[in-house]
Amino acid sequence: MKPKVCVLRTDGTNCDLETCYAFARAGGDSRLIHVNSLRHKEEKLSDYQILVIPGGFSYGDDVHAGKILAVELTSFLKEQLEEFITAGKPVLGICNGFQVLVRTGILPARRIGEISIALVGNDSGHFECRWVNLLVEKTPCVFTEGLAGKCLRLPVAHAEGKFYAGRETLQKIAGQVVFRYADEYGRPTQSYPLNPNGSLEAIGGICDPTGLVLGLMPHPERFVEHSQHPNWRRFESFGEPPGLAIFRNAVRYVKER
Amino acid sequence: VRVINRPEVPDPVGEEILYEIKQALGIRSIQKIRTAKVYRFEGIGESEAHLLAQKLLAEDVFQLYTLNAPAIEEARAVIEVAYKPGVMNPEAASLLKAARDLGLSSLLAADSSREYGFYGDGINPEEIQTVINRLLVNPTVEQVVAEKPATLIIRGVPGRTQLLPIRDLDAQQLLELSRDKLFLNLEEMRAIQNYFRTIGRDPTDCELETIAQTWSEHCVHKTFKARLIVNGEEKTPLLKRLQQATAEINHPLVLSAFVDNSGVMEFYQEWAICGKVETHNSPSAIEPYGGAMTGSGGVFRDILGTGQGARVIASTDMFCFAPPDTPREEIPPGCLHPDYLLRRVVAGVRDYGNRMGIPTNNGSVHFHRDFRAKPTVIVGAYGILPKDRCKKGKPRPGDLALVIGGRTGRDGIHGATFSSGEMTERTVEVNASAVQIGHPIEEKRMSDAILEASAAGLIQAITDCGAGGFSSALGEMGAETGVRVWLERAPLKYPGLKPWEIWVSESQERMVLAVAPENVAEVLKICRRLNVEATVMGEFTADRRLVVTYADEKVCDLEMEFLHHGLPQRVLRASWKKPACAEPALPLPDDWANLYCRVMGHLNVCSKEPIVRMYDHGVQGSSGLPPYGGIAQDAPNDAVLLTPLYGRECAVVISHGLNPVLNQIDPYWGSLWAAAEAVANAVAVGANPKETVLIDNFIWPFPDEESLGALDRAVDACVDFARATGMPFISGKDSLSSTYRSKDIVLKIPPVLCVSAFGRLPDINMTASADFKRAGSTLILVGKRNPAEMAGSVYYDLAGCLGSNLPQIDLQVLPRVLQAVHRAIAAGKILACHDISEGGLAACLAEMCFGGGLGAEIDLPAEARPDFFLFNETAGCFLVELGEGDPGELFAGIPYLRVGATRPEQQITVYQDGKELFRMELKMLKEAWQKPMQKVFG
Repeated sequence: MKPKVCVLRTDGTNCDLETCYAFARAGGDSRLIHVNSLRHKEEKLSDYQILVIPGGFSYGDDVHAGKILAVELTSFLKEQLEEFITAGKPVLGICNGFQVLVRTGILPARRIGEISIALVGNDSGHFECRWVNLLVEKTPCVFTEGLAGKCLRLPVAHAEGKFYAGRETLQKIAGQVVFRYADEYGRPTQSYPLNPNGSLEAIGGICDPTGLVLGLMPHPERFVEHSQHPNWRRFESFGEPPGLAIFRNAVRYVKER
Repeated sequence: VRVINRPEVPDPVGEEILYEIKQALGIRSIQKIRTAKVYRFEGIGESEAHLLAQKLLAEDVFQLYTLNAPAIEEARAVIEVAYKPGVMNPEAASLLKAARDLGLSSLLAADSSREYGFYGDGINPEEIQTVINRLLVNPTVEQVVAEKPATLIIRGVPGRTQLLPIRDLDAQQLLELSRDKLFLNLEEMRAIQNYFRTIGRDPTDCELETIAQTWSEHCVHKTFKARLIVNGEEKTPLLKRLQQATAEINHPLVLSAFVDNSGVMEFYQEWAICGKVETHNSPSAIEPYGGAMTGSGGVFRDILGTGQGARVIASTDMFCFAPPDTPREEIPPGCLHPDYLLRRVVAGVRDYGNRMGIPTNNGSVHFHRDFRAKPTVIVGAYGILPKDRCKKGKPRPGDLALVIGGRTGRDGIHGATFSSGEMTERTVEVNASAVQIGHPIEEKRMSDAILEASAAGLIQAITDCGAGGFSSALGEMGAETGVRVWLERAPLKYPGLKPWEIWVSESQERMVLAVAPENVAEVLKICRRLNVEATVMGEFTADRRLVVTYADEKVCDLEMEFLHHGLPQRVLRASWKKPACAEPALPLPDDWANLYCRVMGHLNVCSKEPIVRMYDHGVQGSSGLPPYGGIAQDAPNDAVLLTPLYGRECAVVISHGLNPVLNQIDPYWGSLWAAAEAVANAVAVGANPKETVLIDNFIWPFPDEESLGALDRAVDACVDFARATGMPFISGKDSLSSTYRSKDIVLKIPPVLCVSAFGRLPDINMTASADFKRAGSTLILVGKRNPAEMAGSVYYDLAGCLGSNLPQIDLQVLPRVLQAVHRAIAAGKILACHDISEGGLAACLAEMCFGGGLGAEIDLPAEARPDFFLFNETAGCFLVELGEGDPGELFAGIPYLRVGATRPEQQITVYQDGKELFRMELKMLKEAWQKPMQKVFG
């Protein structure tokens, strides 16, 4: 039985179709669900085993990226979300979805309404679309099982992706950092454009303490086929695209539970 | 509420402006800039404002806020910049929504703006004024807020409809009426006068506006349909020539040409693909950000409005500007500086495409000082749709007309008529209302709704509200049937619009659907769920009349016959004489290294990567070839490849070509070059010429006899090209207003033909990229060229001359070359392929080296003149890195030459007849090639 994946969308969501496909390719049964359908009780989050908030510009990223959707979720779907998380179901936030998870407080500490970190404007002052190297740290994150220590290549595409938090918060979440922007040797870096937005401690993605909630700025759904790699013609062959591995891990986790 | 970043947190907005102040304005006295967001609310008290600040506006992690108090302290000066009242701030709606979600029901209105604090001793008011005028405020849409507004609510009472007594006006008065408003000529004004004389009444303002925009060049292409007398002999009208060629070619894959909002060709299985390319010069010239945004929004709606609705899968952008370093005093009055235009147009394309989630992955920027009066801004879009819903729909009597999407405001009034007029000193002030700020999220959710309704088979016909607004959308949809419109039902952004303003307003993000009565409820339901406003505004009838009422008053009642066929066909004279361009006699260069670097650093050769990095070209997960690839992701590819059907390997190829310079010498050969370049770009990545189609865009000076003569030659070139290659034009657009007039100067912007090509490929794996793959491979130059044909080249330009002996593409040979290259790539025999264009073989070779991180050596034939051989720009030629296979077999029967090999050393070495001519470090070439745009975009 395929795990049901809720791909949550709203006005301005725009990476929903490819995210749907990525989960389907990984063996999930993905459905596009508009936030209104949850608000109006036409759909229940509890009917799904995986929740993903895809990339895009929800409500135009007005005020702050992902903020308006975060306010909507905390105002109307707080209980459903808490139930989903406490049920131990995986939650994934990609790019704008990461911004939403941070602005709801689900990341880093699963405390809805408590915002302790921020994703702010890129140091470059503008949108950045390029492929980056990502060092996978050793964490309890279920999405990166078996990838720890590897250096992956994935694309970023955002204007507000700089990971920012106070010193003590950074120390508190040290063990939850899943991805760091790195140079070609896999060493975390602050130098632009390898670190495309100036993120503190080169943080590109984090999970919650349980490892069930992952948020990241890069786009794994854009690398689930070999022909999506910008230089696929240069390789004789390569294994499973790392983007696909991330989705497979989530699906496998749900199946094995 | 004022929100500012904490002192320890950087302020990228402020830093970017500071950079531009130093870069663009050269002002040194300003040391620091801090910015704050200002949010104004009406209808709530202090405690609610605090709640909003804490829950929505300011994030304590990195921000601070103040309430009714300044946030920027100890600055020399603080300037607040806001949109003018009536210019819709897209953020306002989000503020209202979030406030509602937070339970604040009493909030009536909200607005946001930005404050800039200037720090530094010895800043003087003039400098700050300069910064405001040049960087912070575009007076067309923005203003400096002197004092806090009394209210945020725009009030007004609707004006009444007026009769305009034109039946007794004389010629002079008719022209007065037309000027700056209708942009019609005397003959056309007389036709209108006669119509109302025969029906025995005067027109309403609404009727006159309706006719003016329906008859505008922008909407009916009078020039392209005119009877044409060329050098005394009558020739087939321009548009007819293109359409006849397409009809004769009768391409088996073409499903719809020249009839719908875009051209449609067959894809694979049950799918079709479509393409449309638009120009948006006039609005972009006076408000580049808003103009470029609405340009993108408009062309996306053309795709969305094709058949019964198509999904947009790609966006392209082609620009022509004056050089960014053009001295300010050379910019004509009423025109904006190219440096500002370039950066703002790019920002507009970026913000619309990125937010809609449409990859912008093919484009180009061209520079020529004659664009200083008016830029050329071309935006294209491509889509995918089911084959069984790809034909233009026809409304049936009884179908209802739904307007869906954004609300109507006083935006873009006279956009259609204005964009057909010439640019003058008065343009900016008179037509300020003709641009607006686009709202991509509105269009995104509208497109979500349309695609869902389309998939459910609920749409009978669809078209976008572009130029001319409701007037053109409903007028055209109802042309065969007739339509009855209740104007008072139109949802408005604010009250106070006159009926004719509602009728012709060009507010963006609106479309009109024809829906069978029994399906209306379902469509409205879909729209509600997706937060899209939809309103039944009219009904299609059978009386072939356009009848519009506003409440109790009849504002328009015209016969469709007159509206669509009453326009007198123009008779235009054209003649063309080859301009007297001298062919220079250049000495052989002595400093090759320096020359090579200058060619690579020429504005029309240099890397445009900083622009591409700001466009999301990977969204939709369909990219099969990025605009910049290679080991350092900085080497250009020739075209874009997309795999729009997830999990399938079939691909769409998209490319383009244009060259304003050659058209100044001879528009026939210049246009052939553009078409050949477009197709060569596609074939270089593997496209099959037999499964590729074309789109034309003519951006031409006002069609006086001479310019029209040039246009006639350009169209002949397109027709000859289509016939010779079998590639039909299936969509096109012309914009014939690239002339600038002021009291003392008349400036003709260089005529531009942009040819776009798109097609299908069965397998993404049968394609190629431009980056060299390995050291030691053979390099082959494929295609026919005469190196002496150097006119219009970058090499000549650097020598300060134009020349007359321009590349004359051989239409007998070209098709065979294209086929051979396609076959070789499809067979996997080619490791890398790049087409030769600006900068010639030398630039092509360097770019391929950059991509592979490899060097190369080439050996020029003994008899060749080395500079011409290296820098000739004949389109339709390729440099190929050969994998396996014998070139004699691969390229049998076509011109080809073994020119050299790839090398591991990071340099390019050029020999002639075995003797070394010069060698160059790649590093130097790359720096020269990357510098120019880095300077503009930081």
